[in-house]
Amino acid sequence: MIIDINFIGLIIASIMASAVPLILASCGELITERSGVLNLGVEGMMIIGAISGFALMTVTGSLIIAIFGAMLAGVLISTIFAFLTQTLITNHVATGLALTIFGIGISAMIGKNFVGIPGKEFPVLFEGFKDTIPLLGPILFGHSIVFYFAFALPFITSYFLKKTKIGLIVRAVGDSPESASNQGINVRLVRYACILYGGAMSGLAGAYLSMIYTPQWIENMTGGRGWIALALVVFSTWNPIKILIGAMIFGGLTIIQFHMQAIGVRIPVQFLTALPYIVTIIVLVVISRDSRKIRLSTPSSLGKSFYKDN
Amino acid sequence: MNTNLKISNVTKIYPGCVANNNVSLEFNSGKIYALLGENGAGKSTLVKILSGVIIPDEGEIYLNENNLKLNSPSDAKKNDIGMVFQHFNLFETLSVFENLIIDSDEQRESLREKIDTIMKKYNFSIDLDIPVLNLSAGQKQKVEIIRCLIRSPKVLIMDEPTSVLTEQETSELFLSLKKFSEEGILIIYITHKLKEVMQLCDEVAVMRRGKLVSVSEIKNENIESLANKMVGQNLKTIKKKKAKTSSDQLIKITNLNFTSEDPFETNLMDINFSVNRGECLGIAGISGNGQSELFQVLSGEIISEKNSIEFNKNYIGDLNPQERREYLMAFSPEDRLEQAAIPQMKIFENVALNNFKSSNFFNNGLINENKIKEHSKKIISDFNVNTENIELKSQFLSGGNLQKLIIGRELITSPDLLICFNPTWGLDVGAINYIHETLIKINEQNKSIILISTDTDELLKLSDKISVIHKGKLSKIMNAEEVTSEKLGILMGGAN
Repeated sequence: MIIDINFIGLIIASIMASAVPLILASCGELITERSGVLNLGVEGMMIIGAISGFALMTVTGSLIIAIFGAMLAGVLISTIFAFLTQTLITNHVATGLALTIFGIGISAMIGKNFVGIPGKEFPVLFEGFKDTIPLLGPILFGHSIVFYFAFALPFITSYFLKKTKIGLIVRAVGDSPESASNQGINVRLVRYACILYGGAMSGLAGAYLSMIYTPQWIENMTGGRGWIALALVVFSTWNPIKILIGAMIFGGLTIIQFHMQAIGVRIPVQFLTALPYIVTIIVLVVISRDSRKIRLSTPSSLGKSFYKDN
Repeated sequence: MNTNLKISNVTKIYPGCVANNNVSLEFNSGKIYALLGENGAGKSTLVKILSGVIIPDEGEIYLNENNLKLNSPSDAKKNDIGMVFQHFNLFETLSVFENLIIDSDEQRESLREKIDTIMKKYNFSIDLDIPVLNLSAGQKQKVEIIRCLIRSPKVLIMDEPTSVLTEQETSELFLSLKKFSEEGILIIYITHKLKEVMQLCDEVAVMRRGKLVSVSEIKNENIESLANKMVGQNLKTIKKKKAKTSSDQLIKITNLNFTSEDPFETNLMDINFSVNRGECLGIAGISGNGQSELFQVLSGEIISEKNSIEFNKNYIGDLNPQERREYLMAFSPEDRLEQAAIPQMKIFENVALNNFKSSNFFNNGLINENKIKEHSKKIISDFNVNTENIELKSQFLSGGNLQKLIIGRELITSPDLLICFNPTWGLDVGAINYIHETLIKINEQNKSIILISTDTDELLKLSDKISVIHKGKLSKIMNAEEVTSEKLGILMGGAN
């Protein structure tokens, strides 16, 4: 069997495309968690982003309004989470779970009117260069702006956390909110900002799904990707570059198992479908097993409420 | 320039407790002031008010006649008040430099230069690029001090700074503080250690139950007079009689090793010792040198090789705490409210947790509440726990009462060996005295004690033999009479 080299390029590009929503949502959640907040509402925020983006695109016809509207929707719903956990000091886990259930429910309700409506074509960049280089051409060129942003994001996130003052403050708050507060840092403000940023990225991830990846609205279309994004953050030990690796493995196995099913490999379908979840986690656990580094990158205050005592 | 700091009629009330009751004090630069008091006397609240962490209900603070409004820690910083907290305010996973730059507005390069100048001037040597959690307690404190010095403070407040330091580190700290004072920084030194006050300070203010009791010059005081002011009554001193030397070996530890999977725990290396009946073995050391690991290995929280622990002629290294209790061992862990008792549970429920076989606390899986309550009442009366109500949640007991309850719970089964870890940490003098008396009594009944403690005075008072743990290794076992606190200090610092 002869395999066209450009076909391989196309497969890799499709793997990368399926990794995009995971990278976006994970990098957003990573910042939230680095500040010590555990937001389990990623799935809910993604699905809200997905319906908001699709609905705004259909109603206004503007892709720009739709994309930013989806991010804004993510911000708004995460504001609820931030208000509950930071101002009313509710439990992070329970609030996050509620957020997901809320998001799935409300998106299904709004989405009723949008089922079956065809999406719009999203413009891609550098389309003309696709055939100039074999293999690399289809990988590098002809993608949406969100795609390029997603692949830059882990590096931006890493730079932000390591090299900027605000990144340092975020890590400090996650490490010890008490010390940060005693240093005069407004812990609540930092955490609010990080939660809202996480919401924006989840919203964008959702919009990517409903506007670019599969341009249509289907109820529950995030299909657990929010949970995978959460797992990626933890198993990458809060390292954005490892999130990129994990998302690629997950995307890769998802695509490959589709192809294997299509070819008719004699492995039970259920096993193939479960494969990406298992392998991604195993790989991340193995590459992150240095317990010293885990201790240094785990936000010590993750999931703990912060009360100021006075 | 002269600095004058005035606290005027400061009051802070918490539900059920007046932390500061109308406190007025005045400080002038050029002197080192001690703020002395027992735990809970209100001195930490007062300095937290000065550093903007706590906002007082009433009262004013003046720095050089200016009325300060300290609503947040950054207000205190802006007004040149620096504070080194008792529990370090550092970010453990960030590097030293990141810890210092986080609240500074300076550029990286100029800040680095400034830090280097400060470190040279005061003879500090700290690697700026390693994470703080790799530093010793003394180094962490220096990082905190540097953080204050970067801002050239007028006032420097030290909250119980020596509780985690070795004797050597303490004297280094004192030298630095005297230097700062000569340079015109006003120093306020919070402590409950009388020796340090006598050694370092020029003036002393004593607090008791939220009130200022006295202000005086050190030259008019001595340790006894300060102790009496601090406690508010005359203290009797208890002394231990020398133990009858028995050669009846009770517990023997042979080549005990423990390698932790957590890189921030200490590994234990080649631990060997034995304790005879009626003896108290003291284990000294600076916290974090393997004491909690040693306690866990001895109590069975961490299981080791069967043959490494021989107790009463049985090999018990592979048994869990409950099984070890059946052999008449008893344990009092360091953390009263996390390890020894469950804070949200009632007193009698906590008593039942120590469920030994002969207790009959449970019948066919059902709780025998009457039996447990009866038992709890006995502990409370036998061990002087100051409450009638055994339905009270344990978290509402004071530290001293909780510790008495725990020791009582352990001792009521009359075990052959009690292993305790910092039994008097953070307690007031009265409770400390009671616990010490109890421990001495145990020895007199020909029972044995392993006392792991970071308080050298306590160890010298109670032990028959003393060893020092440093980086997971035990020093040779010494007779207590031959040991001085200076010698212990040197061993605790890792020298031979």
